[in-house]
Amino acid sequence: MKCAALLTATAFLAIGCMHPDQETSIPPLSAAGERVDPGLGPEAHPLSSGPGYKGSPSWSPHGDRVAFTVDGYVVDKPVGTGNARRWTTRDFVAEDAEWTSESSLAILGAVSADEASSSVYRARSGEESLGVREVAKEVLAMSRGPGGDGLMVAIQTGPGESELALLRDNGAVDWIYTSAIGGRVTGLSLSPDGRSAALAVRAAGHTFELHTFDLRAGVHRRIAMLDDGLEIFGAPQWTKEGICYVVGKEAASVDGGTAPLYDLYSLTPGTGGPQPTPGVGEDFVASSIRVSPDGGRLAVIGRLNPNAPVNLYVLDLAAQDLEAVTTNEDMQIKTGPDDLAWSPGADSVAIVARGALSDEPRVRAAPKRALLEDFYNLYEIPVGDRGAAR
Amino acid sequence: MKEAALWISGAALAFFATAGAFLLLANLGTGPSERNLTPDPPPAESGPALELTLTQDRLASLRALPGQELEVGVRNAGDEDLSHVNLTVEVSSENTALSDARYYRENVNELPAGSSVPVRFYLDLSQRESTIGTTSAPAVPEPPRKIIEVRATTPEGASAIKTAIVPL
Repeated sequence: MKCAALLTATAFLAIGCMHPDQETSIPPLSAAGERVDPGLGPEAHPLSSGPGYKGSPSWSPHGDRVAFTVDGYVVDKPVGTGNARRWTTRDFVAEDAEWTSESSLAILGAVSADEASSSVYRARSGEESLGVREVAKEVLAMSRGPGGDGLMVAIQTGPGESELALLRDNGAVDWIYTSAIGGRVTGLSLSPDGRSAALAVRAAGHTFELHTFDLRAGVHRRIAMLDDGLEIFGAPQWTKEGICYVVGKEAASVDGGTAPLYDLYSLTPGTGGPQPTPGVGEDFVASSIRVSPDGGRLAVIGRLNPNAPVNLYVLDLAAQDLEAVTTNEDMQIKTGPDDLAWSPGADSVAIVARGALSDEPRVRAAPKRALLEDFYNLYEIPVGDRGAAR
Repeated sequence: MKEAALWISGAALAFFATAGAFLLLANLGTGPSERNLTPDPPPAESGPALELTLTQDRLASLRALPGQELEVGVRNAGDEDLSHVNLTVEVSSENTALSDARYYRENVNELPAGSSVPVRFYLDLSQRESTIGTTSAPAVPEPPRKIIEVRATTPEGASAIKTAIVPL
């Protein structure tokens, strides 16, 4: 009797728990969309692909698109998947491009290689033609305007003389600062509060000077003068801890050859002379720098010493803490002054890199438009809060 | 004592019978709406397999001149014969601002399974006259390389691609 009861119960349980069909395991999702390690570290994410000499990345104000130059012309593309969109004709020679709104770019360059000087052109998305409108001539340098609105430009007004002007988003001149600057402005950036500008100036006799420009009072003053043979590379960066700038010596012996050698300096206006930027180390060779949107961090492309690989570093200026955010494995990271850009949220930096060049032909089993390391391409390097004051 | 055991056995039997009946009803009730979660099928094999070969030595001997011979090895690595294998070659500059692409086409009528054939192209790798002097030299400070993209397709859907980057 007991056995019959137990057998009955077991049978009922077996029937009840039985699945109508054989159970099948579900394999994990495919790895589509996974990050590709191009030799810059596992977190590097390509923003472009295919041939073309690319440079000057610039994030849109919302951070969902990135504009850049390709062989002189200007394109932009979504940060995720999506096709590139061309903004200029292919014979354009652009040096730099900056977003002035979600739908417009300011482009520093020339409509052809025959032009002797550079102008700023305004281009709008969604327009049928690739026409651009010239909004300022004889432009030496440009930077986003105060608060990200409009554009600040340095204009050559005579031999060895420059002026600053503020342009609105639509290209109209908003303000011209008539206080003439003696020399050619070679780099320009605004202070974090947008009230002042830091200028690299090539003065008479080809000596380089560092100036500040009070945009409210309209006056400027020289705060540093470099020795002969030294130059300021790119635009000085006005941070919360002072103005940082890269000083280049003509050439130095590296691995039996010669290469430019650059040092990173800092200067706090009104508190003394230039000092080597604390936190990077004595042997550090800086190439290009860009201050974070909040002014507290500095993205630096450089080498820990003249024989070390080029990497992207983030320097916490207050804590004087330098952290590498790429792990370069035989990649060539571009070191031009405009070849890095912070995302608006300061959580990523865009850089430009390619694999080491070879004199031998290379064969790939992929279409050219999908190739990455064979050409200079843009990469997003997440930095999170690395280098942020903790 | 015997009576107590009988009562306990009866109660247990009633409990299991009721539980089993409920489980049975539960399964019957959900049967129609249940659907198998089958995994996505693995990527389909691309049918007949085509392979392309570009040899480094041949590529290294190319010059920036007309009439440069490029030999492309085409192999049917599948187990079905192929017909009408279309081969296209695009030669372009690394500098995308130059509109100087040149295109070449050849056809292999029959390619039995397991066999391979060499296909020769005679490429003009010289720079087009219309682009000489029009390069955006200030924006591109280094000489551009040539890009040779070779594609093979068949009406059956087999395809292969190889891209060579050649310094000239």
